[in-house]
Amino acid sequence: MSATSTRRDVLRWAVAGGAVLLTGCGTQAAPGAAGGPPRRGGRLRAGIVGGSAKDSLDVHAPVTHPDEARVLQLYDSLLCYDTDFRIQPALAEEVTPSADAKTWTIRLRQGVEFHNGKAVTAEDVAFSLRRIVDPAKPQAGAVGLAAIDPAGIEIVDPRTLRLNLRTPDAVLADQLAQYNNGIVPIGYDPKKPIGTGPFAFGSFEPGQQSTFTRNPKYWRENEPYLDEIVIIDFPDDTARVNALLGGQVDVIDQLPLGQIEVVRANPALKVLDSETGAWTPFTMRVDQPPFDDPRVREAFRLIVDREQMVKQVLGGHGVVGNDLYARFDPAYAKDLPQRKQDIGRAKELLKQAGKENLTVELVTSAVAAGLVEAAQVFANQAKAAGVTVNVRKVDSGEFYGDNYLKWTFAQDFWFTRSYLPQTAQGSVPGAPYNETHWSDPKFVDLIAQARSTVDEKQRAELIKQAQRMEYDSGGYIVWGFANQVDAHSVRVNGLVPDRSGVPLTSYGFRRAWMSA
Amino acid sequence: MVRLAVKRLVFGALILWAVSVVVFLATAALPGDTAQAILGREATPERLAALRLELHLDDPLVSQYFSWLGGLLTFDPGRSLVNGLPVAEFVGPRIVNSLVLMLTAAVVSTPLAMFLGTWSAVRRDRAADHVTAVVTLVLAALPEFVVGITLVIVFATGPLRLLPAVYVGTGQVTFVDLVLPALTLVLAVGPYIVRMMRATMIEVLESEYVQQARLKGLPERTVLLRHAVPNAVGPVAQVVALQLAWLAGGVVVVEFLFRYPGIGYALVDAVNNRDLPVVQALALLIAALYIVVNLLADLVSLVANPRVRTAIR
Repeated sequence: MSATSTRRDVLRWAVAGGAVLLTGCGTQAAPGAAGGPPRRGGRLRAGIVGGSAKDSLDVHAPVTHPDEARVLQLYDSLLCYDTDFRIQPALAEEVTPSADAKTWTIRLRQGVEFHNGKAVTAEDVAFSLRRIVDPAKPQAGAVGLAAIDPAGIEIVDPRTLRLNLRTPDAVLADQLAQYNNGIVPIGYDPKKPIGTGPFAFGSFEPGQQSTFTRNPKYWRENEPYLDEIVIIDFPDDTARVNALLGGQVDVIDQLPLGQIEVVRANPALKVLDSETGAWTPFTMRVDQPPFDDPRVREAFRLIVDREQMVKQVLGGHGVVGNDLYARFDPAYAKDLPQRKQDIGRAKELLKQAGKENLTVELVTSAVAAGLVEAAQVFANQAKAAGVTVNVRKVDSGEFYGDNYLKWTFAQDFWFTRSYLPQTAQGSVPGAPYNETHWSDPKFVDLIAQARSTVDEKQRAELIKQAQRMEYDSGGYIVWGFANQVDAHSVRVNGLVPDRSGVPLTSYGFRRAWMSA
Repeated sequence: MVRLAVKRLVFGALILWAVSVVVFLATAALPGDTAQAILGREATPERLAALRLELHLDDPLVSQYFSWLGGLLTFDPGRSLVNGLPVAEFVGPRIVNSLVLMLTAAVVSTPLAMFLGTWSAVRRDRAADHVTAVVTLVLAALPEFVVGITLVIVFATGPLRLLPAVYVGTGQVTFVDLVLPALTLVLAVGPYIVRMMRATMIEVLESEYVQQARLKGLPERTVLLRHAVPNAVGPVAQVVALQLAWLAGGVVVVEFLFRYPGIGYALVDAVNNRDLPVVQALALLIAALYIVVNLLADLVSLVANPRVRTAIR
């Protein structure tokens, strides 16, 4: 796909008071590149992994994958990510931080309407942000938006609002681009979900299926092309693949590794393979033996044969990691040498630490694809270094139960995020998912500085120093980044590889169209 | 016989109550609570606290149990913890779907299997008998999952696209949706009944009263239908009952495979969500099904066998 576009997106990102001007999170490829000009009309049936009686339509509380897919049809956030994981404007046309990153000004796009015909105003944005951070019922995005002070939201005019933050946050834009921070009208009721998204609410049966109809007044040019979307829950992998093979659905997400070749061999189907920044680390608690000794952590990182992990766990659909996350952050430390398996050095480090013939328990659970397999492969690789890893598999209820975030040696999974938003989620004290209990004061200081630095170059410098620390002695073993592998009928056009880690071009059905 | 039935029903009610206590305690003993199950990875302490308050999860266990039992006695099984829908409204259509599936499987498999078993016994040691023996043995050995997948490949995703591979819809089941799941269940429960019927029939055909009937010069048809079959039905009814009771549980795998909107599918989901009212309602229903089917089997063997019938008086 070429990097040209008729309405090329230009991002002039805020450098000390600069502004963002532009059109949206389009792909960088002309939409009709693959199969002629896009055709309007038709109905897309999507088989989505998971789903349950607990399904919801709430804009700010998606939990299951079908929830995510629904949220992305119904609502828009102020900003969004394009398929290269760069921030683009959505409902806001400008989002500008002050020089000290303590005040952010948001200018809304003109003429956008909710599904019920009401215009989107600054009041609606204030209502939505307050709903997310409400201390009585915090929503999924509350942690990321912790800097927002509900009392500090100022309406300047119907299209402009100012956020006076509690603490400086130079990367607030990343949070405003999260799909679970969508904008809804004042008085929003999840039972009658109204947003500005490409598709409006049709019907909803928790655990079964939901339907959505085309929003004719959608603010993006030409989109959406389809008349109707049907989102069907599929907790079982076999059933989902069979539905695609049998022609009962047009697209599915999360094609199981074992089925990739089956789908490739079928001329009526296509595989959509996206490189992502999603990672499934091993988590070592840096405050508990044996991992409180940095030499043991380094030894464990040297035990992993990353190439073999990617080959065996991901079937080759992924890339190796270097114990660092946020690989698509502009400040990602590409220059740090790639860590490779070095059993000799690992043994030496363990010997120095007095931890020869170490035995550890690794807690795993099938909460994400590949976790259990990765644990087993690691246990096997560790034998060479004289380390015995006892893999203990628990069910998801127990994994997320009372010991969650307290396991000494376990695993987790994360989608693509930029560096600072990721540290806020998992790598500083007080972060909600700090599973490694990483709390180095120097690191914390670097992160705090970076968060309040608006200048991108200076910020990148600080981020690089922080990454160096994590690379040397952090508690994560980031062995690889898994591709997102989905599949669809050849009749479906417009879906392209996407770096976010959210399946099916971030469930971007607005870009999809059906061949005749 | 009525007394026996009443006595068994009273015992049944007691068993159900015991089941409700066990299921309640077992669900409570599972690691993690409903709030953690709902929020999963999104569970921050603040969000957990807010949700627990909303769902009354901090109430003592005993009071949670009795408020549920009290509701049940007034025919109100409560509301699902995870989506707030009344349990009856939520599981009602699923129960109907599962019953339709199980009944279809039972109605098709029982007479068919009994016929095949009888036929096989009559043609004992001939080619047809051997073929039946091998086929039923293979089917009995295969897990229903494998049988189901094979049927899907043959009839839905392979070159023959006659039937839907999975159920897609909003909970209304039509005839075509029923074919493959029902067929899978028929192939899962049928073979045992065939084999049992054959073995029992062979025994009966060798018995003295059948010899006697033949010596009287009765036509073979009459011997078979009037004298042999009624005597074989008794023992086979027990096997049929066992198999039908198994259906209530075996349906889970089949419902998952075909995404069939029934109780098995709903039960697995409810256990994962720690959705107690739904788990309770479905567990009790399945237990009740076991009890009723077993009772019916006993009654059938009583009715079919005059000797037992008189003995019990």
